Amino acid sequence: MFYKTKILIVKMVEKKVSGKGEGDFDLVVVGAGVAGLAAGMYGARLGLKTLILGSSHGTELPVGGVITTTDIVENYPGFIKLTGTELADKLREHAESYDLVTISEEKVASVDGKKGDFKVKTNKGEHKGKTILFAMGTKWRELEVPGGKEFKTKGVAYCALCDAPLYKNKTVAVVGGSDSAAKDALLLTKHAKKVYIIYRGEKIHPEPINLKRIEQNEKIEVINGTSVSEVKGEQFVKSVVLDKVYKGKKELALDGVFVAIGHIVLSDLAKPLGVKLNKKGEIIIDHKTSTTNVPGVFAAGDVADKPFKQAITGVAEGCTAAYSAYECITEEKCGNY
Amino acid sequence: MSVIVYSTASCPWCIKTKAFLKEHKIKFTNKDVGEDQKAGQEMIKKSGQQGVPVSDVNGEIIVGFDEEKLKAALKIK
Repeated sequence: MFYKTKILIVKMVEKKVSGKGEGDFDLVVVGAGVAGLAAGMYGARLGLKTLILGSSHGTELPVGGVITTTDIVENYPGFIKLTGTELADKLREHAESYDLVTISEEKVASVDGKKGDFKVKTNKGEHKGKTILFAMGTKWRELEVPGGKEFKTKGVAYCALCDAPLYKNKTVAVVGGSDSAAKDALLLTKHAKKVYIIYRGEKIHPEPINLKRIEQNEKIEVINGTSVSEVKGEQFVKSVVLDKVYKGKKELALDGVFVAIGHIVLSDLAKPLGVKLNKKGEIIIDHKTSTTNVPGVFAAGDVADKPFKQAITGVAEGCTAAYSAYECITEEKCGNY
Repeated sequence: MSVIVYSTASCPWCIKTKAFLKEHKIKFTNKDVGEDQKAGQEMIKKSGQQGVPVSDVNGEIIVGFDEEKLKAALKIK
């Protein structure tokens, strides 16, 4: 291990790189969530001049990504408890501590070219990169029922971290059964007097530690096996209509509906390069190297086809992708699994 | 110039809005709608919606962090 590290350092010194933010890049990372930021940090350690491009698709910040909408993170090793924004800031600070890393808030419009000569067009200009890492992540799936769109920000919300304090002593519901939905519900109990979790599946499925917290929380009532079929109100939300009778009624009076019904993978930018996607739209990667089927193109984080999507696994894939990009540039080992 | 930001403590876009104003040395009043329910009602009345952040720049209401709109309202080039 030490021997290999030593070789890397020698190669790194031999490589000629230009100054921060200037000229072409060794690695362009599309997406500035935790996976992208980790890739930038690791790329810089390997001597790669790296550009990280971040943009927002909803409630998350352009740099930091979806973790910035998480209230408390308790499963990132090294930190017993911190907020999602704090974790993102630490990863950003770490990446930016290397002169070789440039982070820019730019929305990528297209990526074309081939290994050694990729062109990335954004809303602010064009960048060139020898290798590309796709780390665009996902965006929240919206509640597509009558009233879902009409009452958005008028009682229908997608960021419990942002808007939960506005529901002090109110009755709200979280739609969804994932760990994110559970964490939203737990956060909402700090403000609301009553929190329903409405889940269409058989049983909500958060991490066991959060399931236990939900079961022990008197403010939370879980309605499994039920969907929301309509959101109703006047200026603001007043109720939701359920697809099944619950406690003798199909309509549930509410002041707010927080939506956490999963994600849509943001992999469209990879398609024109011929990058293979699975049925869910996730980029198929070799899980040992984070390489895609296209030489010089890598993927990491929530956009990739890993079943267990966590900040820590995304970070690991980002670091792996940076190492693979390094091998691609210095040794012509460019994947194509 | 009167600038009011309606925010909650942990909302990432609220933090970004306030950082933007500080960066451009714009004095503003922050109203935490999570702590101050009266301010929350004021924000809802002004913006017609319940999401944060909301900026009131001399009566012009800007919902969310919209850098271009903020720059235009604050005459920042």
